[in-house]
Amino acid sequence: MKKIYSIALSLAAVCTLMFTASCTDLDEVVYDKIPSDQFGQTPDQINSIIGPVYKTLKAYWPGDLFCVTEESSDMAVTPTRRGGDWWDGGVHMELGLHTWTTRTNPLNSSWNACMDGVSRCNQVYAIIENTPMDEALKARTLAEIRGVRAFWYYVAVDMFGNVPLATDFNNTEVPGTTKRADVYKFIIDELNDIKDKVRPEVNSSSYGKFTRGVAYTLLAKMYLNAEVWIGTPNWAGVVAACDEVMKLDYIIEPDWKTSFLVNNEVSKEIIFPITFGRTDGGNQLHYRTLHYLDPITLGMNIGTWNGICANPEYVAQFDIDDKRYEGSFLMGPMVDPATGLVQITAHGRELIHTIELRTIENTEKDGTLWGEVNQEDGARVNKWVFEKGLSSSDQENDFAIFRLADVYLMKAEALIRLGQDNAEATRLVNVIRERGFGDNSKNYTAATLDDVYLERRLELAWENVSRQDMIRFGTFLQPTLWRTKVSEPFRLLFPIPNAAMQSNDKLVQNPGYN
Amino acid sequence: MKHVKNMICSLGLIRKLGLLTLLMSLFLTTAFAQQLTVKGKVLDEFGEGVIGANILEKGTTNGVTTDLDGNYTIVIANAQRAVIQFSYIGYNTKDEPVGDRTTIDVTLDPSVVNLGEVVAIGYGTQTRREITGSVANVTQENFNKGVTRDAAALLQGKVAGLSITTGSGDVAANPTIRLRGISTLQNDRGPFIVIDGVPGGDMASVAPQDIESISVLKDASSAAIYGSRSAGGVILITTKRGSASKTMVSYEGYLATSSLANKPDLMTAEQWREYAKSKSLDTSPYDKYGANTDWFDEISRTGVAHNHSVSMSGGGSKNNYRASFTYLSNEGVMRDNSLEKYSFRFQFQQRAIDDRLRIGLTGSGTLSDRNDTEARNFVLAYSLPPVYPVKLSDGSWFDTREYDQGNPVRNQEYNTDKFSNSLFYGAGDLSFTLMDGLDIKLSLYKSRHMQDRSQYNNSETERGRDNGGWGERDNQKWDKNLMEWLLEYTKAFGASEQHRLNAMLGYSWEENEWSKARVANRNFVTDMLGANSLQSGQGLRANDIESARNMNRLISFFGRAHYSYLERYMLTATIRRDGSSKFGANHKWGIFPSASAAWGVSQEGFMQDVKWVDDLKFRVGYGVTGNQDGLDPYKTLELYGTDNTYYDNGSWKTAYTINQNPNPNLKWEETAMFNIGVDFGLFNGRLNGTLEWYDKRTRDMLYTYRVPSPPYMYRDMMANVGDMQNTGIELALSWNAIRTKDLQWTTSFTFDHNTNKITSLANDLYTTSRVYVGDAWIRGGSGNTTHVVEEGRPVGQFFGWKFLKFDESGHYVMEDQNGDGIITDDDRTYIGSALPDLTFGWNNQFNYKNWDLSFFFRGTVGNKVLNHSRMAYAQSGYLIGGNALNDPLVYELTEVPKYCSLYIEDASHIRLDNLAFGYTFNTKNVSWLDRARVYVTGQNLFVLTGYKGADPEVNMDRNNGLSPGVQDREFYPKARTFSVGVSLIF
Repeated sequence: MKKIYSIALSLAAVCTLMFTASCTDLDEVVYDKIPSDQFGQTPDQINSIIGPVYKTLKAYWPGDLFCVTEESSDMAVTPTRRGGDWWDGGVHMELGLHTWTTRTNPLNSSWNACMDGVSRCNQVYAIIENTPMDEALKARTLAEIRGVRAFWYYVAVDMFGNVPLATDFNNTEVPGTTKRADVYKFIIDELNDIKDKVRPEVNSSSYGKFTRGVAYTLLAKMYLNAEVWIGTPNWAGVVAACDEVMKLDYIIEPDWKTSFLVNNEVSKEIIFPITFGRTDGGNQLHYRTLHYLDPITLGMNIGTWNGICANPEYVAQFDIDDKRYEGSFLMGPMVDPATGLVQITAHGRELIHTIELRTIENTEKDGTLWGEVNQEDGARVNKWVFEKGLSSSDQENDFAIFRLADVYLMKAEALIRLGQDNAEATRLVNVIRERGFGDNSKNYTAATLDDVYLERRLELAWENVSRQDMIRFGTFLQPTLWRTKVSEPFRLLFPIPNAAMQSNDKLVQNPGYN
Repeated sequence: MKHVKNMICSLGLIRKLGLLTLLMSLFLTTAFAQQLTVKGKVLDEFGEGVIGANILEKGTTNGVTTDLDGNYTIVIANAQRAVIQFSYIGYNTKDEPVGDRTTIDVTLDPSVVNLGEVVAIGYGTQTRREITGSVANVTQENFNKGVTRDAAALLQGKVAGLSITTGSGDVAANPTIRLRGISTLQNDRGPFIVIDGVPGGDMASVAPQDIESISVLKDASSAAIYGSRSAGGVILITTKRGSASKTMVSYEGYLATSSLANKPDLMTAEQWREYAKSKSLDTSPYDKYGANTDWFDEISRTGVAHNHSVSMSGGGSKNNYRASFTYLSNEGVMRDNSLEKYSFRFQFQQRAIDDRLRIGLTGSGTLSDRNDTEARNFVLAYSLPPVYPVKLSDGSWFDTREYDQGNPVRNQEYNTDKFSNSLFYGAGDLSFTLMDGLDIKLSLYKSRHMQDRSQYNNSETERGRDNGGWGERDNQKWDKNLMEWLLEYTKAFGASEQHRLNAMLGYSWEENEWSKARVANRNFVTDMLGANSLQSGQGLRANDIESARNMNRLISFFGRAHYSYLERYMLTATIRRDGSSKFGANHKWGIFPSASAAWGVSQEGFMQDVKWVDDLKFRVGYGVTGNQDGLDPYKTLELYGTDNTYYDNGSWKTAYTINQNPNPNLKWEETAMFNIGVDFGLFNGRLNGTLEWYDKRTRDMLYTYRVPSPPYMYRDMMANVGDMQNTGIELALSWNAIRTKDLQWTTSFTFDHNTNKITSLANDLYTTSRVYVGDAWIRGGSGNTTHVVEEGRPVGQFFGWKFLKFDESGHYVMEDQNGDGIITDDDRTYIGSALPDLTFGWNNQFNYKNWDLSFFFRGTVGNKVLNHSRMAYAQSGYLIGGNALNDPLVYELTEVPKYCSLYIEDASHIRLDNLAFGYTFNTKNVSWLDRARVYVTGQNLFVLTGYKGADPEVNMDRNNGLSPGVQDREFYPKARTFSVGVSLIF
């Protein structure tokens, strides 16, 4: 008996041991992350949480969203190269020929760019709202976040029209589709509410932030497209908003290139930049556009992709005397500085970037004019200064989502459409034009709507505005390059991507895409 | 604070252990040890004495072997308790309780499968006769021969239902191991590995020469004792131990050479020139070096491997030991691929206090250095025109900057990707017999695995030139602490001890910690320093510096009870309660029960007259197992992590963001399996077999599901949503076809058939019922998906256009599924499955006098493989600026290759995987030599298949196992290996 008692005792000891609280402790010790309730307490920490709001802007340019806007318009094209490079299942052909579907992948990326941007803003808004901090700073910060969110809704309403409207991160109900006009109204209301809460300064600390200048420029963009988007024009609104921007400390930089330099943050013309750095990356335009051997000519050390180039019809609009012609496009023979000879491609051809895209015989895809072109064909992007000596890195040049030149032209367009003050409109266009040509020889005496349209295209090539402009000027559906027929009007909006519909069954597809 | 508390917890346990020992000593009874000498003779079925049979006092290290006439003498310490075990290869092991006998003669029954064999079953052992679950055991005699790196290589093809797939010829790559199909969508890691009872071991830590046997727990009723980590089955590795019966020193060594078994059939320079001529293309820009280069030949070599293992073992009546050292050097067939490995291991066991106290110590160290192959070189070797030279006539390197081109030989010559790994572990166990049949055991284990990766791409080479040289050092550390308590009770009762009960209770506490530090830099002024002075680079970026650390803890309570009546009726039940820190607050704990029963028909009285049936047993079992492998720590929490940098007022600062959609409801993925089986031994041990059927259902599958954003921040989220089912049938047969004194022939087959199906993938929140996965990227063809994960379909389901023919102009004609006259994404359909209908192995073993010969075939039937290399390179698009496969498609196809059924090929095959031929010397007259054998082996000798690519057995682990069956564009061709070896025991 005694033996059994002893055993029982020892068993009991073991059991007690086992159930000691710390021996059943399953709490996670988190080492390389920070629990959300223990962060966001100092100004530096708060700033580091807000940072990602602005980082969302990188998805606007020069990735898939850039290809979608510039290739669906007549600005650019990513042609299929001889051998099939960039065919990529025909996505670029679909953009160029207006035959995209709900599964065209760059559309999905563009949708994701907008929705990720909105979600990020909502998330950070919810955090900052509940963070104890200086009240004035908090009010301004919350306004800035709403501003970036309004920007992403502006992109979404432009591309997709009817989109899910979500503003409260803590509301986990899956949002359905909101009509384009209602999203439009939401953006206008938001901008009007925040425009005096964000900072008006134009200086290095406001650079890259959502400022009063951005708010009014965005308002101007909204009103500019109001006729297209909600059926009711508001040209007077454009003029008023532009005037507000012009009151601020922005200038038209005397040197056009200032806004496209490697270190273009010095430009006082830039209103709303995407800030790119080498460590963080994001500006891969040089990779996307340059031929594999171009870096040798340009003195760079990078492996490029030989993708996007200009639509020859777009290049043809430029006057050869316009500094923006060669300032926007890389053309002609690419010489190896070591030998002084034109470089030779893997297809045994001289590397001369022609403006023309010459389809190689019998390479056309079924029933279309879209075929393969030689590696060297097409004028490349030459607007942002290539950094000599750059080694395997993204470029640092910031991208101006909005800049003052655009505001000048918006105001000019609105005045002409209103039939008011043509002298002022002409002056505004001429400021831009004179800088482009280097003198006043090509100035207009009385600018017309077509003049403004042309000037926008000369000034803003590669800057994600061509699709919106063409829709507003009624040229978007017109044939260009290998697209031979007038497109159906439903193509003015992109479809809600299949992937988005799959994960949110409350979304309603845009007309024409079912 | 918490980890301090846990340390106190374990320290406290150790302190309390002392108390426990004290308690135990209180009820120590002093039993009189009756010494007894037992003699006898061991006979075979012909009545002749068996030479060298093992006689062991069960449960001790006390043992002897029979002499030339089959006689033995053994001194037993405690005759009352003692059971003597007689064993010899090819015969069933026999147990004889001593009682008061002093002479015990036994006749051993021959059997292809040893039914008396003791098999590891997880926290214990059972004899084959007692087992109620589905357990396969492979002992060293049946291991694969030749160049082997780890346990997986020994086991390949040997166990029905266990598929071990070698996806390439890379000597450093791990095979994909799956037991009874794919059982999860989230990072299926295959079976759980247990080494000498230590759960979660690393196969690399045991040299193949140190392994005695490997048990595979196939069904849930046997695996459930490992609870939340056993849904993929369990592999138990038992290492060799010393025996008091023999003090021995052994040496095993081999030398092997490997060469490319099959390389891609690319156009030769001659064919390239002919092609150019036929198309009237100007070759002058390329063909100006007079070169005829076979780029695959240039990057490959004949690899040499050699292995040396030395071990010594022995012991006395109270202890035993074994120590071993193994060195392996293995060169891959690619010039930049090599592996060098040093393994040390010792085991020591001591008995005390009248054998009641048993202490064991194990130490193991594995040091390895390897260089991983640069997969990019395969792309370059495919793409470079064969008329380009490796070097120019002046001896300088040829190179080109064209897309997908560059000199692969130069890459190999100057670039390195070295991994130095050290894996140490120590284990101590202490077991004490509290009373007859009741043991308590404590095991403590600690391991540390360190990996240092050092990579450098020279600035002159294709890999390094864009960066101006690029270097990286990456250090990672994995620590594991484990403590286990086991209480075991064994009791036989009834008049003739016909009832036997075996029960076990356990507790386990396990903590894993991982950390890493990584630095990279680029743009070096000189390449001389490699990755040894990274600070000298001039291109540091924000995410070039990285460190991370995480932990998880697993706490378990478990128990098992086994009852048997005369080995006729057997019942086993197990239960395990597992708690893991990785799960959500409401779901930390899970319960995993199992039950199984067996009916040993052959043990029934009425079967004793049926002479042709030696053994017949029916088994049935059901159990629930779990999986948490796919789940990283911290997934349930809302956490801030860094998000690179943001710009603020002229400078770049670190951004923070909540970096996942936290899911506090994450819980265990559960797999329930029902298994029925029959084991049989017929015709006087000549034919043995096992037939099994199972139904395995996984529910609440962990997977990263798509969610809408907004409202969620991120578009995917880890959750428990889907269900999956695997059903299958397995057959293993061994037939002793010839059994004479001089000549024996044993032939064995394994077959298994498994059907995998995803039964559900969506619920109210996660609405996607089909996920497109996989990527067959080719130049000019990005954005295609290869597989779907879809309800009602298996994992590995290829999905794409159905190819019909080429039209006159060389364009694909695809089947118009929806009949709308145009081919769009909507016309894609199901075009084959990567999973085989049947997997088989066929082994033959011949022995004639001192000669032995074995050969082993294995293969699959009905699986499909995407020949991605053919899709990428069987085209003329880049000719003549590049190269292409010597394939009719080069002439037929005129457009960019499209992913379609044309490239999905039947990969059914049979492979002569292993052939070994050996001679064992007669050492009877050499006093200092016990055994000497020399052998030659050949591995991967030939493959019969209709598959057009390099090898029909390909990577099954791509994309976390969700897009298996793809011969990668960067496929590393396999090797054919010949080796010659010697095995000596002194």
